[in-house]
Amino acid sequence: MPNDWKIVLGILTVAVLIGLASLGRLHQRMKTLSENPHADEQARREVMAAPVATPTDVTVQAKMYWQSGQDQLAPVAIKLPLSADPVERSKQVLDGLITQPTPQQHTLPSDTTVLGFYVLPDGTAIADFSDALATETPSGIASEQTAVDSIVDTLKADVPSLQRLKILIHGQEVDTLAGHVDLTGFFDLNSAPAQPSIVPTQSGSISSTGSAAPVQKTVAPTALPHGS
Amino acid sequence: MRLSALHFRPYTFAFVALVCVLGTTSANVSAQQQPVQPASPLQTGPEKTPRPEAPVPTPSSGQPSSQSPALSSSYNPMIVLDPAHGGTDTGARGETGAIEKDLVLDYARMARAELQSEGFHVVMTRDDDSNPSYADRAAIANSYRNAIFISLHISTTGTFATVHTYYYQFGSAPVAPSDAANAKNTGPAEHSASLVPWEDAQFTQVGASERLAGALQAQFAQRFSGSSASPTPAAVRELRSVDAPAVAIEVASVSVKDPNSLAGLAGPIAVAIARGVQSFRTAAAAGAH
Repeated sequence: MPNDWKIVLGILTVAVLIGLASLGRLHQRMKTLSENPHADEQARREVMAAPVATPTDVTVQAKMYWQSGQDQLAPVAIKLPLSADPVERSKQVLDGLITQPTPQQHTLPSDTTVLGFYVLPDGTAIADFSDALATETPSGIASEQTAVDSIVDTLKADVPSLQRLKILIHGQEVDTLAGHVDLTGFFDLNSAPAQPSIVPTQSGSISSTGSAAPVQKTVAPTALPHGS
Repeated sequence: MRLSALHFRPYTFAFVALVCVLGTTSANVSAQQQPVQPASPLQTGPEKTPRPEAPVPTPSSGQPSSQSPALSSSYNPMIVLDPAHGGTDTGARGETGAIEKDLVLDYARMARAELQSEGFHVVMTRDDDSNPSYADRAAIANSYRNAIFISLHISTTGTFATVHTYYYQFGSAPVAPSDAANAKNTGPAEHSASLVPWEDAQFTQVGASERLAGALQAQFAQRFSGSSASPTPAAVRELRSVDAPAVAIEVASVSVKDPNSLAGLAGPIAVAIARGVQSFRTAAAAGAH
């Protein structure tokens, strides 16, 4: 056999051995991903919605309205660094609402991101969520109302300067969240602005949760201003 | 402008009501004597009973009325059954094959038969795999002077064979068209303050809707263990433009392992609906007296 052929065969043999060696690691990686379906979501979230940090951040006890039993909400106190700016504060609160709960507490799909948040001079807030909120929220009156209630109640508790809320999906006004609950109107937040009831703390970690009684009330949208 | 195009415009309902009022006044003819064809409902029943279109009531106090203005001592409502979704909109889908749009159509057909056996007149917003718009569904109910609107749904979550009834709840009084016009400084208001926008038609009916929901939920609580004793307010889109007592009924859930077990609920649900509607009608007639 010519020397050239021997060299080629040697290179090919080394390549095959390297490939076989990497197969084990590839298999291990696939197994890890399949065991943790949220890893992909987490990676996407890190790109789409980087954590919001502002110079005015102060770690406080924020109140999150998460699932407590079937289609019921309960306020849970967690420690979050929150900005003094209502827009940034609202983004931080909604990010916490989506990313911090346990799987049993989730009210919003974990893949959801806040694409934008705006506050008009009259206190009207506009929250723009990614498509995941509409496509991954379980279809149904109870499940959709629970998702909307958790957003409204949490913003009401943690951002007192907001008057009312409009929910958009990917920048668009939609009829319903996932086929049932009306998103064409505004949701009342704080018609009479109240002082924040949150207390600054020293730690930035999540505290042991202090759940209160489940909340059964329902928020309802008000009518759109006509001609708008 | 074609009349069919008007049908979908926001203020069409209020406009039609205004025309009816003016026409009735000028001709000095009772509205009870003016038959109006429904907007193309699929009507069945002991006899066809076209009814005059109801004038749109006014939210004078800014709060929902506690008594439906359409109620009378001879209260004989047209029952509008609304199987949700349809066509390409399947609604909730279970992993084992349960599909909301098909099951709620079966529920509606069964309820129609049960209601007819009790002497009610019934129409359905769809009796096939079509998917009428929210406006089309509401238009069918709004084309009758006395109607009851019942929308049927199946959830994705929840304990199997529990049933919950919902009624629409507005957060605050809708903005009157004249107020909105004035607020925009567009000159004199173009609409009378007595006109109610199409998308807020349910506002004056919330009280009656809550009572209807209560009557139905009482029946479900008796027949389906685990169902709550009282109805729940929720912003169900289909109810918003209905100018009649309107509720949504949601059965849990398509996540059941055996889809046939959901189909088996059709009979008990139909009976509960018929008894609940009968109870509401009796109470409404008594209240009118």
